[in-house]
Amino acid sequence: MLCGLVQDQDDVPVIRFEQVSKRYPGNANALEALSFALAPAEMAFVTGHSGAGKSTLLKLIGLLERPSHGAVTVAGRNLAQMRQRGIAQHRRMIGMVFQDHHLLLDRSVQANVELPLVVAGMPAEERAKRARAALEKVGLGGMEQRLPVRLSTGEQQRVGIARAIVARPAVLLADEPTGNLDPHLAVEIMGLFAEFQAIGTTVLVATHDLVLIKRIRKRVLVLDHGRLVDDVPATEVAA
Amino acid sequence: MNSREQAATRRGAPARWWRAHRWALGQSLLRLRERPLGTALTVAVMGLALALPLSFYLVQINLDRLGQALGAQQALNVFLKQDQTQAQAEALARTLRADPAVAAVTLKSPAAGLSELAALQGFGPALAALPNNPLPWVLVLRPRATAAPAAVRALATRLRGNSAVALVQDQAPLRARMDALTGFGRRVMQVLGALLALAAVLVVGASVRSDIQSRVDEIHVLQLVGASAAFVRRPYLYAGFWLGLLSGAVAVIVVLLLELLLAAPAARLDASWGGRLHFAALDATPLLVLLVCAAMLGWLGARMASARHLAAAEPN
Repeated sequence: MLCGLVQDQDDVPVIRFEQVSKRYPGNANALEALSFALAPAEMAFVTGHSGAGKSTLLKLIGLLERPSHGAVTVAGRNLAQMRQRGIAQHRRMIGMVFQDHHLLLDRSVQANVELPLVVAGMPAEERAKRARAALEKVGLGGMEQRLPVRLSTGEQQRVGIARAIVARPAVLLADEPTGNLDPHLAVEIMGLFAEFQAIGTTVLVATHDLVLIKRIRKRVLVLDHGRLVDDVPATEVAA
Repeated sequence: MNSREQAATRRGAPARWWRAHRWALGQSLLRLRERPLGTALTVAVMGLALALPLSFYLVQINLDRLGQALGAQQALNVFLKQDQTQAQAEALARTLRADPAVAAVTLKSPAAGLSELAALQGFGPALAALPNNPLPWVLVLRPRATAAPAAVRALATRLRGNSAVALVQDQAPLRARMDALTGFGRRVMQVLGALLALAAVLVVGASVRSDIQSRVDEIHVLQLVGASAAFVRRPYLYAGFWLGLLSGAVAVIVVLLLELLLAAPAARLDASWGGRLHFAALDATPLLVLLVCAAMLGWLGARMASARHLAAAEPN
């Protein structure tokens, strides 16, 4: 079962941006009048050069940032109206993979992966079982008891991915998830994301890896200086 | 979520609540164990701070007992003239018992007075040297608790005018002075106790604040994976509770040691007063109350510190 999302409303977008702008104090707009929608179980890439606003877009969905203007709606709920308690519930239905991993370096790999399940109040046995399965999926089976500091950057990235998928989130956001992985492993991880899409997860991946984008062939949102300059359907992505 | 899933979620809520608390409990103990020196210092400082009000309380109850032993309530000691016989003394006692201001009258014979005096240290040989008992019959009057001080004073004046009475010793002024003194002492102890309790809250608050600051990354990650504010805060509240409870235990041990150290000198002092002082040790109730209060103070300190510093750690 996916976390907290109504699955039978296929026509209602899971993620909707309406004229969303984000301005940081003293800077130009990180995002400007951005509008798009993602349907349930859709997978898309967000691409653009550094500073185009890819990470900001994901942060708005994860409620790590608030928009300066416009409305971000996730699973029918306007995030601007969400209170503190709602924010925690919202984040529980989203799996997030970060560029800088955000791992607890003094906890084992398994303890890191189990964190979303601890927060969800899952029994210890079930947590351990799910964490091991998630680690198997990202190719880290047998490394459960290692500390993240003993892993390579690529392995740490995969621990972050395992943590993001372990609670079977309704929405999966990934910010440059394959940046530290070799091409072969990058394709495998994207295949894993596609598997999640197949079982109903909405997946949004920020990347500037055009080779990967062409290989996976999903919808592509292209950003430039915070503006959506192109929205390429999966069928039109050149191989 | 369909209705069956919603029902299952509702049924599982108590189990999830219990697991979240068990996790927080484990985390709190882990945190205290990870910083043994910091934990020991916090517990020692807070324990000593809490031991002081408890020691004050011990001193206060013993001062109250001392006051009672020395002042003996508002009692009037009525010394009859030497020529008064037992029958005359008993007749006067019967008359006084009928007075509405009097609760009880105790008749003390010259022989009883002499043996009481002999029990006081140092008087025995001197009294043995006397050819006969020089003490008169004494009536000890206990006024009713509801009797106005003016009524008791009027009774004393009336008795002083009685031809059978040699001396009326009114304890009320002494008792009033003792009450004023112990009342003042009690207030000083209450104020100091409140200040030390506040210090204990601040000590735990500082410890929790330092713990939060050293765990900002962890807090951040928990918030990112959907932990509620209560979930993030809970281990710190448990840690505050444990610090308070351990400090309370330290305070109890300190006061028990104090009692042990003072037992012998107190017994000697009591003996020198003919066993009338009856110094008391603390019974289980105030010790248990202190433990509960200490745990609550620890929780309160942690609550205040976490409310302030966790809000600042929120990534949004």
